[in-house]
Amino acid sequence: MNENNLNEAPKKEEPRVPKAIRQIVSEKGAENERIVAAAATDMNEACQYADGFIVLTEKHLFVFAAESESREPRNFKGYLSIKDMERERDFDWKCTVFENDSIKKLKIEPQVAISLLIMEDENGIERVACVFSNLHRRKMHKFVREFDRLPGREEKFPEGEEGAPGKEKHKLPIGGHGPGGPRGFGGHGGPGGPENEEDEYCPICGMMYPNKDRKVCPRCIDRKTIFVRTFKYFARYKALMALMVLMYLLVALLNLVWPYLNGTVLYDYVLTKNEDFLLSVGIKNGDFVLALFFVILTMFMARLMGQLLTILQGVFTARIVSRVVCDMKKDIFNVMGKLSISFFKSRQTGSLMTRVLSDAERVAGFFIDQVPYIFIHAFTLITTFAVMFKINWKMALVALVLEPIAFIFSFYIRPRFWNAFGKRHRAERSINSQVNDNLTGARVVKAFGQEENEENRFVGTNKRLKDAEMSIVGLENYNTLVFSFAHGGAGILIWALGAFFILGRHTMALGVLITFTGYVSQLDGPMRFASWIFRAWADSMNAAQRMFEIIDAVPEVTEAENPVPLEKVEGSIELKNVTFGYEVNRPVLKNINLTIPAGSMLGIVGRSGAGKTTLVNLISRMYDPEEGSILIDGIDIKELAFRDLRRNVAMVSQETYIFMGTVEENIAYANSSATKQEIIRAAKLASAHEFIMRLPDGYNTVVGASGRELSGGERQRISIARAILADPKILILDEATASVDTETERAIQTSINYLVKGRTTISIAHRLSTLRDADFLCVLDNGEITERGTHEELKDLKGTYFKLMELQTKALALRE
Amino acid sequence: MEEKEFDLEQMEKETEEMLRINMLTPENAKFTRTAGGFVSLETGGEKYPRVQVVRMFPFTDPGHFISIRTTEERSKEIGIIEDMSSLDADTRKMLEEQLNLRYFTPVITKIINVKDEYGYAYFDVMTDRGECRFTIHMGGSDVVHLTETRIIISDLDENRFEIPDVTKLSATERKKIDLFL
Repeated sequence: MNENNLNEAPKKEEPRVPKAIRQIVSEKGAENERIVAAAATDMNEACQYADGFIVLTEKHLFVFAAESESREPRNFKGYLSIKDMERERDFDWKCTVFENDSIKKLKIEPQVAISLLIMEDENGIERVACVFSNLHRRKMHKFVREFDRLPGREEKFPEGEEGAPGKEKHKLPIGGHGPGGPRGFGGHGGPGGPENEEDEYCPICGMMYPNKDRKVCPRCIDRKTIFVRTFKYFARYKALMALMVLMYLLVALLNLVWPYLNGTVLYDYVLTKNEDFLLSVGIKNGDFVLALFFVILTMFMARLMGQLLTILQGVFTARIVSRVVCDMKKDIFNVMGKLSISFFKSRQTGSLMTRVLSDAERVAGFFIDQVPYIFIHAFTLITTFAVMFKINWKMALVALVLEPIAFIFSFYIRPRFWNAFGKRHRAERSINSQVNDNLTGARVVKAFGQEENEENRFVGTNKRLKDAEMSIVGLENYNTLVFSFAHGGAGILIWALGAFFILGRHTMALGVLITFTGYVSQLDGPMRFASWIFRAWADSMNAAQRMFEIIDAVPEVTEAENPVPLEKVEGSIELKNVTFGYEVNRPVLKNINLTIPAGSMLGIVGRSGAGKTTLVNLISRMYDPEEGSILIDGIDIKELAFRDLRRNVAMVSQETYIFMGTVEENIAYANSSATKQEIIRAAKLASAHEFIMRLPDGYNTVVGASGRELSGGERQRISIARAILADPKILILDEATASVDTETERAIQTSINYLVKGRTTISIAHRLSTLRDADFLCVLDNGEITERGTHEELKDLKGTYFKLMELQTKALALRE
Repeated sequence: MEEKEFDLEQMEKETEEMLRINMLTPENAKFTRTAGGFVSLETGGEKYPRVQVVRMFPFTDPGHFISIRTTEERSKEIGIIEDMSSLDADTRKMLEEQLNLRYFTPVITKIINVKDEYGYAYFDVMTDRGECRFTIHMGGSDVVHLTETRIIISDLDENRFEIPDVTKLSATERKKIDLFL
């Protein structure tokens, strides 16, 4: 007992459970047992929402169920906050206790939208332990894993023939490879390692993140932070920005002088022949013609200067905008490149394209067309009012009264703009996706004569975009209307009041009134701007938020911080207890153990969907396994730098991709320093040389998106040549010869035979003939390796492989 | 069983053939002019009455890696001349004639006018072979940038015109083709 405690000195933290639950667990006789795992459940067997809990201690399993159905609203992801999880539940818990040793097996059985935890006892009788919604699925899977890892379970209830691996599993973390043990486990959590629960909740509002790998809470996403972050893009061009603002200020100053020249000076001083004024500016002899000339010249110069400054400012603006937009697009594109495959699978291409292309421009547009004006207009507004108050405070007050109405109103309708912009974005996104779909799938559409249907489909999306635009325009009009009313009203009031002062009271000169109305119209810009700014703000921040969503995305597969250098690769591959699934509930690969000695060739056969491609995707680290590890030369691939890994593992897959560029560039894609001779040799080896030479420009022929179209087989051969030139230690052929004719296949086959020498090769094929040179084969079925051995061994086994062989020989016989 | 053996042997032979890069040198290959103005080749004991002369890297390395091929439609490679300058002057001239024929591309020296209308661009240019007027499709990829400055233009019938260096054109000419740069 003591020893046991000592062993557990750096004890794992107990999972958090409500106090009431912990108390019952202790009362029921497990006070000395450590809680190994716990998970909440939210349903009962009658398919009602009801709280529950399941606790695993070293010896016992406790299932708690609330006595009655819960009447509270259920919070699922998006509403669920950490408070929900921490809340002490004072239900009348009904508790059932099981001895762990009486349970033969725990398993999760997914239903369509909920899951059952099923418990099988020693007599093989299965019963429902608890029922839970998908919200708890991940936790529950962890729970089951913890259960399976309990010491002693493997000996007592060995699973099938796989008894031994359990031991290996425990050895794994302390095994001699990988200095410092496994690290960089991405978001999946290492085997057994407790995940930090708080990490899944937003620290501000306590809500659970919609995506645990992207720690951004959509509720708390701070629009001000977005603003500041966007502003940083402009901060790089401080000098240009300063110049631009200076231009704006100068223009504003000139505008301020204008009404004074145009009104007071022209009408009241010069045209009324005010001698004092002349003297004050230094013109003698009452030469009013000269004065008039000077005034007009000054006015002309002021206008000219204003125009020049505006043009200059436009030039600066254009410079800054294009640079900032370029920077933003670069950032988005870079991040997209780093993201894992799964990111692209979960999003529409159209949506991503919109983000790269138009969002950056929207964001930058705001900062250039609006932000500088905030200062300018504020400056104009304040100075203009100051001047107006100085000239005639009564009239200034009148002018001031109506203006705030427009401002307040536009502030008030701001959320409606935000929504309208979001709606437009979604409409744009779907229209982009659809056009993209239709253009890339033009052949299918035509082949099935679906042009009309597609047209109708487009009409719908197009209308949605139109409606969204219309609602924005509607809001804008609304806004303009209120603004015009307020501003126009103010103008009329000023004129009326001015007329009253001049005609009725004789307390004001005409020039003053003209100056004054000049200033009022000077307010036009700032006021219009004020009514506009909230709309622009909403538009820009809406786009910025989407942009940052991408920039902040965290790749699921992350590179180790201090990768283990991999210089000379032998090429041995080992898969240890690898389990992986694209969705939590549905493992595609189950506990795969496989060793491929360096330099040998492994053939994988199996039905479609058996997990063959997934297996090789894991080896080239497109995804990380959920459990277990993959070792190359004894080093966990998570410890390796992406560069080292990708350099040594090349894949020729069923999806070939030809980049835009010449044939030469395409072959040399992975090895740009290759000589021409090497390129020709690789092409020869891949049986690509002959068809390349039949192209008009030989190796300089431009292929890919905008170039010459290649057939499936030709593309395949180019990608084989690419792999050959990459000269990897580990070569993965995933149906490499699937889209070529039999003759070419044989040609490629011979070159592959040459190629595999001195390399570790994994070859996936439907046609068994492709695999006749494999050193050993394995049959993958339903995510498990069901048969393994050499060709002869498998033939004698008379299992799946034998059956496949029989089938294919018969098919071959039919053909001949 | 016997058949399989045969098969393997056959395949081995094919592989050998496939992987071999047969370099042609003045020592092992003798080119002669034919009566029809073509070139015939005698190499490795075989005589080819007429051969095709094809560049592997017509744009990036026109003087090296010349593939000598049979003339049928699915032509086979007879061998490769790695470096044209290693040949004697006479042979080189003979082969170059063939190459010039194959890779005929007028070089655009002056752009007189370019007009684009309804998806087509109408070119009026001066080339080293005289003035040419041709039309290209705007939507496609008829203007190929070999490098930053070198352009190949293919017209509707895939006739080719080359601008070896756009920076050598005058500013006004560049403006006319700005759309394609």
